[in-house]
Amino acid sequence: MASARMQVAAAPQGFGGFVKEKVLLGMSVKDYVRSCCTPVNAVAAVILAVGLPLLAYRFYAGLGATTNLSQTAPWGLWIGFDMMTGIVLAAGGFTIGASVQIFGLKEYHAIERPAILTAFLGYVMAVIGLIADLGRPWNMAFFPFNYGTASALFEVAWCVLCYTSVLFLEFTLPFFEWAGWARAAAFMKKLLIALTVLSVMFSTMHQSALGSLFLLAPTKLHPLWYTPFIFIFFFISAIVAGISMVVVESSISHRVFHRQLEGQPVDADKLILGLGKAGAVVMFAYFFLKLQGVVDGHAWGYLATGYGALFLVEVLGFILLPSLLFAYGARNGKVKLVQFAGLLGVLGIVLNRLNVSVVAFNWQLPSAQRYVPHWMEIWVSVTLVTIGVLAFRWIVNRMPILREDPRFPGAH
Amino acid sequence: MAHDFLSIYGAKAAEYLLAIGYLLLFIPFWRYVQGARPKEAVVRAGAAAHAAAGAARTAFPGRAAGATAPSPTAGWFQVPAGVYLHPGHTWARLEADGLVSVGIDDFAHKLVGAAALELPELGTRVAQGEPALEVGDDERKVPMLSPLDGSVVAVNAAAREHPEAIDEPYGRGWLFKVKPSRLAANLRQLLEGAPARRFLEDAGEAIAFRMSPQLATVLQDGGTPIHGIARALAGDDWDQLARQHFLA
Amino acid sequence: MRIGRRGFVKLAVVGAGAAGVSAATASPQGTVEGDDAPGVLVDTTLCLGCRACEAACAETNGLPPPPADDAVMASRRDTTESAFTVVNRTVGEDGKPVFAKKQCMHCQAPGCASACPVRAMDKLPSGPVVWDGTNCLGCRYCMIACPFDIPKYEYGSWNPRVRKCTFCADRQAKGLKPACTEVCPSGALTFGRRGELLEEAKRRIYTSAGKYSSHVYGEHEAGGTSFLYITAPDVDLGALAFRTDVPKKPIPELVQGALGAPPFVMTLWPPLLMGLYAFSKRREGGSQEGGHGEKSGKEDPHG
Repeated sequence: MASARMQVAAAPQGFGGFVKEKVLLGMSVKDYVRSCCTPVNAVAAVILAVGLPLLAYRFYAGLGATTNLSQTAPWGLWIGFDMMTGIVLAAGGFTIGASVQIFGLKEYHAIERPAILTAFLGYVMAVIGLIADLGRPWNMAFFPFNYGTASALFEVAWCVLCYTSVLFLEFTLPFFEWAGWARAAAFMKKLLIALTVLSVMFSTMHQSALGSLFLLAPTKLHPLWYTPFIFIFFFISAIVAGISMVVVESSISHRVFHRQLEGQPVDADKLILGLGKAGAVVMFAYFFLKLQGVVDGHAWGYLATGYGALFLVEVLGFILLPSLLFAYGARNGKVKLVQFAGLLGVLGIVLNRLNVSVVAFNWQLPSAQRYVPHWMEIWVSVTLVTIGVLAFRWIVNRMPILREDPRFPGAH
Repeated sequence: MAHDFLSIYGAKAAEYLLAIGYLLLFIPFWRYVQGARPKEAVVRAGAAAHAAAGAARTAFPGRAAGATAPSPTAGWFQVPAGVYLHPGHTWARLEADGLVSVGIDDFAHKLVGAAALELPELGTRVAQGEPALEVGDDERKVPMLSPLDGSVVAVNAAAREHPEAIDEPYGRGWLFKVKPSRLAANLRQLLEGAPARRFLEDAGEAIAFRMSPQLATVLQDGGTPIHGIARALAGDDWDQLARQHFLA
Repeated sequence: MRIGRRGFVKLAVVGAGAAGVSAATASPQGTVEGDDAPGVLVDTTLCLGCRACEAACAETNGLPPPPADDAVMASRRDTTESAFTVVNRTVGEDGKPVFAKKQCMHCQAPGCASACPVRAMDKLPSGPVVWDGTNCLGCRYCMIACPFDIPKYEYGSWNPRVRKCTFCADRQAKGLKPACTEVCPSGALTFGRRGELLEEAKRRIYTSAGKYSSHVYGEHEAGGTSFLYITAPDVDLGALAFRTDVPKKPIPELVQGALGAPPFVMTLWPPLLMGLYAFSKRREGGSQEGGHGEKSGKEDPHG
């Protein structure tokens, strides 16, 4: 066995050396470009080749030309999916961050940074989706000073602004390590506990406020989903989403980036099982919360309708079922089952957000007036997800997210 | 969304029944989930050993809460009852005559194997956490820390002359005896019983991670390590590995 | 003519003072509330369906003229980006046509204004609920909030506006009546103070037995609106494109509970979380006493 001392990279020669070392992963430009010609990248390129011009076209031609939004459907896929689903699936950042930093579950350190990166990129993509959806996005610069404090949307906007800043600061830690700025990294590390407390606080507020948005539309949101407690539901489901998304994301990451994980005594399977345990319990409680919401709203009569069937699918198939699968899988050490349950959990949250914002919204309108997304809306949403995934991959391949930087031992 | 007043009572009854039902279901559900049998994960030890062995320890995942299965390294290193361990892998035992015997523990013994011992002179004052003895060979010596404060009143000459013959690190392998000066305070810093056993298990796992995958499967069969592990693992750099563990 | 909102409020106050309109009896902050707010009584039994109100509205607001042919009333009509008011027609009990004008109800506690995160949609102190595009983000949350589905959006524009009836706020500021009420030939539209109009509505209901339904649409809907409708008995308001499921509670009140939470979260979460942190650190430090302290010192993730 070679007693190799980790080779600390020789100081790069100037900026060109820095680019080659850090950005091109030590390859020449030609080699790097050649290494990028993979089937996955080809698919991503096609998506972006159509999606980016679509995004530009939306700003040129307006919402009417690129969406199926209407006077009766003011919010569509970009709000329902890009913004609301994007934000809730990024909740892993604060759930894992809190687990590690505040509850002291050190073993989850290994997935803390990927979760925070997922959250940061998720929020950036959600904000871009929001910019695409707003009719006058340039006025976003002034919104903090207009004090629409009677509005839940004001709270959402402020908290998303603050939380994205917190996520950005948390992300600077691996960035500083990558760039080699030791003092900045050490400084950021000291701030981490404060940032984590802030992240939990801001997340609580805006995850629940996204639910509060619908409080003022009791006649438009279907009674099976409308409840005065919808903001509690959105917060708890954010925790569910965070746990499920981290299970899915770390499962994929550990397969895709397995070379980075070689040599690390990280028992990823044990972590996933642990997440499965937490997910089982939270989802179990969330299932009963949903039932309570229906009873409290006297809405049980609707269960026999078409929307009732949709509600039951969401609640039984995508909340109760994954809860039980999490429980069984975690107890019996079946990692694949836990991963599958995580996937169901993610899909369930996506379904819930889409139901609340689009499907069960304005449910009383005749079907001719109901909203169906335009293909351009779908393509732009897929484009944003693709950009997020590509950015994730770019960063993980270079920065100490899944592995430790040898110059900063013990930081991972 | 107005509903008639009287239906409130029915709804509230249903809500509370639902909540009680949930609580009744929650208790067995929680117990079911927590009764997890931890996956006997094959330790994915790396092929390339880090020279910064500290990385192995800092990345150590720690014990899952509620794990019921014993760690595979549980039987590797022993410590008998009544023996107090110092984190530097030396031990102290109270003798009937008020003196304290000191030696190196099973882990240090197996890590270093047959090695020359440099023991303190009679009358030397030793301090807890300060180097008191050395183990090693002609080329390299690793200091080890004293587990308590006091002065050396006896030295095991046999151990010094023939270290390879001493197979009982806690019995005939005692190294020197100390007249303690701050025994009660020192004992508070030492491990005994279950915490000491767990300490040795952790040390064993830290070593296990450094092993090749082939040895890791030996782990699963409960094989025990051989003497002189440090040399087997780290070759000429065995003293670096030893220093890490002995906190020297 | 578009005036900025601030200039507008100034005009409203000065104009009101000069003309001695209801603002003289305003509450201390200069807002006009409740009984003294401006209102319109719409007596649909008097409405002829002549649609002069549509024409006057279009002219006053610089909108394209409404379709000339009354046949458009054969199907359900709704306000649009370029039509702030429309007249709908249905058939009454007796087979005779019933007409009603639809426009923004100018709620006393408007959901759209409370929903707007930048107060582009706002309630003027003088009463009307108007949209000022200076800060509008185009988020369309006002459209979600309105229980009457009134605000309409210019999806086709690169700089879209939110469009709805302005209650002729600038005319009112000058002491004039809203254009629609000015031109109505049959007296179906009466402009005045809401309190007085409500009393007039009740008076008509109770003194003409059987001529009216006893429900005044707008009295309690969304907590009370500026526009009050009285109809013949058994007229289907839904067929006249009115929403009949509007809650009695003012829309902003539905959000107040949840909106009260953030200050509590900001107060309670830090001590709660830091307490958990301290507890978990202490528990960990305790189990590491007597030896593990050094080991954990290297890997302490608690910053």
